[in-house]
Parts: sequence; C-alpha cells; structure tokens
Amino acid sequence: MKGIEEQIRATSSQLLAAGDVQLVIGYGAGSDNSKTMPVFIKRAEDVGKLVFNPLCVSNLANYLLHWNNFEGKIAIVVKGCDSRSIIRLLQDKQIEREKIVVLGVNCPGQLKSGQAEAKIPVEAVLSEATVDNGGIKLQTSGGLITFSLEEGLLEKCRQCESSRPVVSDYLFGEKGFEADKAALQFNDVAALEGAPLEEKSRYWDKYFERCLRCYACRNSCPACSCRECVFDMVEPDWVAKTVNLSDNTAFHMIRAFHVAGRCTDCGECERVCPAEIPLRILNRKIIKDIKELFGAPMPGSDLEALPALSFYAVNDPESQN
Amino acid sequence: MAVYKKITKDNLVQFLQELTKDRILIAPVREHELVSFSPVADAGKVDFTFQNSFVPPKSWFFPQTEQIFSFRIEDGKYELSAPSLPGGTVLFGVHPCDLKSILALDPVFDGKFDDNYYCTRRKNTIIIGLGCQSVGRNCFCFKVGGGPLESNGADIFLTPTGGDFLAEGVTNQGTDLINKHSRFFSDSSAEQVDKEKREGTDRLLKQSTGLKGDFNLPKVKAFLDANYEIPYWEDLSYRCLGCGICTYLCPTCHCFDINDYARSGLEGERIRCWDSCQFKDFTLMAGGHNPRPSKKERVRNRFMHKFKYHEDRYNIFGCVGCGRCVQKCPVNIDPRKIILDLQEVAGND
Repeated sequence: MKGIEEQIRATSSQLLAAGDVQLVIGYGAGSDNSKTMPVFIKRAEDVGKLVFNPLCVSNLANYLLHWNNFEGKIAIVVKGCDSRSIIRLLQDKQIEREKIVVLGVNCPGQLKSGQAEAKIPVEAVLSEATVDNGGIKLQTSGGLITFSLEEGLLEKCRQCESSRPVVSDYLFGEKGFEADKAALQFNDVAALEGAPLEEKSRYWDKYFERCLRCYACRNSCPACSCRECVFDMVEPDWVAKTVNLSDNTAFHMIRAFHVAGRCTDCGECERVCPAEIPLRILNRKIIKDIKELFGAPMPGSDLEALPALSFYAVNDPESQN
Repeated sequence: MAVYKKITKDNLVQFLQELTKDRILIAPVREHELVSFSPVADAGKVDFTFQNSFVPPKSWFFPQTEQIFSFRIEDGKYELSAPSLPGGTVLFGVHPCDLKSILALDPVFDGKFDDNYYCTRRKNTIIIGLGCQSVGRNCFCFKVGGGPLESNGADIFLTPTGGDFLAEGVTNQGTDLINKHSRFFSDSSAEQVDKEKREGTDRLLKQSTGLKGDFNLPKVKAFLDANYEIPYWEDLSYRCLGCGICTYLCPTCHCFDINDYARSGLEGERIRCWDSCQFKDFTLMAGGHNPRPSKKERVRNRFMHKFKYHEDRYNIFGCVGCGRCVQKCPVNIDPRKIILDLQEVAGND
C-alpha cells in the first residue's frame, strides 16, 4: 500500500504546486498509530503528511460540505465506498464537479478499529501494509502485525459492492478487495427482518435507549446537507431535546427515512457512534427495500441514476391507473 | 477519623447488597458490551474490572435529561410542582479520574449559586471509589495531576489487591459506613494501604501503553492566558465534525439547555438537557448573532475551558485524563496531542 501512499503524495504535490487545487483532503497519521485522522493540506511541501493504509476507515466526503464556500479547488482522497458520496453530492448539486479533483483508491480493504487498537502499539509506526486472502499484514517499527480477514476486515468491506471508485480523476492501486458474492445479499438485514416483531423491538430498544443524541451520525453523514436540521429546531419542536427511548427512537426513524434512497451505505454513522448502535442495519433495510421495490441500484453508484425516491418516471406503473 | 480495612471480593458484594436495603445502589454494570452506571438491585451483577464506563458517573448528579418542575394552568392559575429527587444513594465503583471530575463539578453547581438538583443528589450520595486495575492506552490521569489509585473525592476508597481490596474511610461519612458494617471488613493499617497504593501506582504506570511525552500544564495555561488568537485552533478545527461526543462523554462538561414542553398548552414540564459547546447553535442568540460562528471558535472554547477557564474560576483543571474523548472522537482530536502541540508552540515563542 506504500505505492498508493506515494502516488497520493506525488499527485497532491503536483496539483498544489501547479495551482490546480488549493486544498487536499486526505488521511494523515493519528496521535496513536492504530488510527489515522483527516488532514487538510494546503502547501505542496506538506504532502508528506498524507498516508494511505488499512486504517483509513473514515469517509472524507462530508468535509466537502464544510468547505462548500471555499473559493479554490479541492482534491479529495476517496475509497470505493466513499466515492458514492461524491456522486450523491453532485446529484444534489451540493458540490460542483469542476471544483473537485477526485483522488480515487482501489481500496484493498480496511481494518476494524477495535482490532487495530487491540494489536497495534501506540508507538508502532506503520511502514507497509498488505491485504489479501491471507489476511491483513502490517509491517511496523514494532514488528509484523497480522490479522486474519475474518477477525480484522470491516464488516462493510466484506459487503463491498465496488472497491473501485465509481468516480475518479486519478486512480491509485492495482486491484481492490473483491467481496464474496454471497456477502452482498443483505443477509444481515434478512436475519433481523425474519424475527418476530417483539424481538425486533427489543433489539432496537436496547440500542436506542443508550443513544446520547450527540448527533455524530448526522454530522458525519454526507447525505445530511440541510442548512437547518429538524433536530436542532426549538420552534416548532418536532422532536423534543429530551433523551429517552421514545424521542431517541423518533430521532433515528426520522433520520433513516430522511436519508432513504440517498444513503450510500458508507457506514460513517455506525463507525462514529459512541454508543455502538448498529445503524447500518437500519439504513441497509431501506436500501434493500428500495432495491426490491424499484430495482434501484445502490445510491451513488451511477451519476445518471437519480435516487428512486427523488424523481418521477412518466412510465411508472402506478401512473397508468 | 480515617479507618483502614481489608475486604474480600465476596464480602464486598455482600456489603453492597446490604447497602441496597436502605439506599439506592448505582454501580457499573456491563450491558451489550458497554459499562454504565445504573441502578442495581443484585450486587452480584456489579462489574469490578471495567476500564472505563461509557458515560461518566456525572450523569448520576447531573442527568442528561432532568425535569426542573411540572406545571398546570387551571382557571387562569398556575400550579407548579417540583420533582422528587432521589434519597439516600451509594454511588459505587468510581475510578480516580471520575472522582476528581466530581470535585471539578462541585464548585460549578454548589458555588455562588446552589443548584438544588445537583446539590440534593450530591448530599444524599455516598461515593465509593475504586482504584484502577490497569491503565488503558487512552488513560492519562497521571499526566494531569491524578493517579490510578488516588482517593480524593471518595467517601470510601478501595484499592484492588489481587482479587481483594484494601478499604479506606476517606471522609467521616465513609468511615461511619465502614464501622457500621464492620463485619464485612478485616483489619489493615495506614502503612499497608499507603504501601500498596504507592507500589500499585508504580506498577500501573510502568504498564501504561499510552502516548509518551511529559505535560507541563502551568506552561500551557500561561501560554493560553497570553494567546487567544493562534492559527493552531483553525487547523485543529478543520477535522472537527461538530458533534457532541467529546462533551457528552467528558466527566467535567456541564452545559445544559432548558426547554418547556407543553403539548396540550395547559400542562407540561420544564426540562433541562445536556448541551454542547461544539454544536453550532449553542451560542446562537435570539437576534441571530453567533459569537462563536465557526468550528475554530468552538474547538478553541472547549480546550480553553479545560485548560484555562476552569482553572481561572475554580483552581482546578477541567480535564482529568479519563481518555473517553480520546477513545471516542471519530476524527482523532486528542487532548494529549493538543497539550504537547501547545507546549511546542509555546516553546517556540
């Protein structure tokens, strides 16, 4: 993966030096070597801060919303999953294509944060990483650290539709992770769908009960672009600020339906949730339903395919009546 | 009068069970992978080995959602009723970082103005502190003036020794409680407890796997006193998502918002809920002005509060090194790194 990192640095350096972009949003080394963090590079001499490895779990696309008043052009590093957010932001006209340079990575797969923290010492500097069928191997200053795919690979990588970015101006890496076809069948959702109503209710209650309403799920979500969020409103108070099972459930249900048809299953909401609420299951249920009802592809996988709930087709079977 | 005792794990469970007869027991329990301080009826369910609770125990004294009063309007007359607050309580299993955080919260709620809700709960609660059995990679209490076996803030403090515990009555209230239930305890001495805490602290700190580098908090404070506008805050704020994780999980953060809910118009309640200085509408005023308009001001405020304002106001730092924000911040905003960075910036002056 060192090659990808070097290519990201070289391209960023060229783009910044030539004035083609004024900002690069990418991944940098974290305070603890089991983590990376988003970095914002404005000068070609700082591109050495950019890294790419299996610890680049976050989706950086949401930052394009933070920078949508930026006058210059922005280069952004995206993995296959993250690239769908770029398409979605373009479809919603939240970003302008000509102001964005997409640095796409054929993603080899990403490591579970818990596993990384359990096995990578704070001071162990990563020098090289590989992900293949043999597992995830990290060469560090503290020695070789290995994870089997079973223990180490993120659930969302296992279910990856396309490790190759669906949009990119530059593409780095030879070949990304190829998920097992069987893993793409929404089995996680189906397992819960089949459970009796009371069991499903108990399942969600135990998680929603401990929601802190910190709004990290919303704030990290590339589909959340409202200028004023309904959950911040006091008048009218659509959802009370009180934190309890009832209002927390309302919060999560409203959010899930609000991003229905627009959620690209990037998994940021679940990744950032401090209460470890399995939010992807909720969003994937809706993705699965829309897929089955409308034959719609994964949102964000095709620039020309508008979200199923966001356009009207004159040949819609229901309009024939 | 301090008292020094020993208690076995089995007796500790029985002691806690005995306390539930006339008090509410709030203790750490593990539910669905996370440890929380919850009301416990069966002391056998208490988790004695947890590293850190998900939400800090401040939520017992200052719940995330709390009714201030309820109201009713009838025949043009207002009728207010105060909520009933919990009576006698034992808050068990508070680690030293969180004990210290309660000492940092006391002057906020019980200072110039008494907050009846906090003060009543605080007065009615006996705190049993529990020394740490390991120092996590995100822990840094020992770098901000604390330690994994510091008893400050507890009424009774337990130092783990293998499977059993040494018990100190730190306050009179704590000593009285031990004496009243002396059948669960056997004798120890100040010397033994001291020695175990000293040696235990050395052993725990040697095992620490966290970020290296020494802190000089007075230097950081002096730098912040003299420097309000520095480019560092803007750079740091770029990656902040503006969520409330750090503030809600911080054991010393204490901001709240007040709302009235009266769906029928004639009866309802006034509620206070935690609020976060990282939310963009936190300082939004009625006229539309926002004195902290961007993430830069908001992120700066959080760290100025921890390392300057709280110290200015109450002579105690607002960070106790529990490491919850280090662990849970989705974008790696790490106060340890910020302290080291600020020391470096200050050094270059």
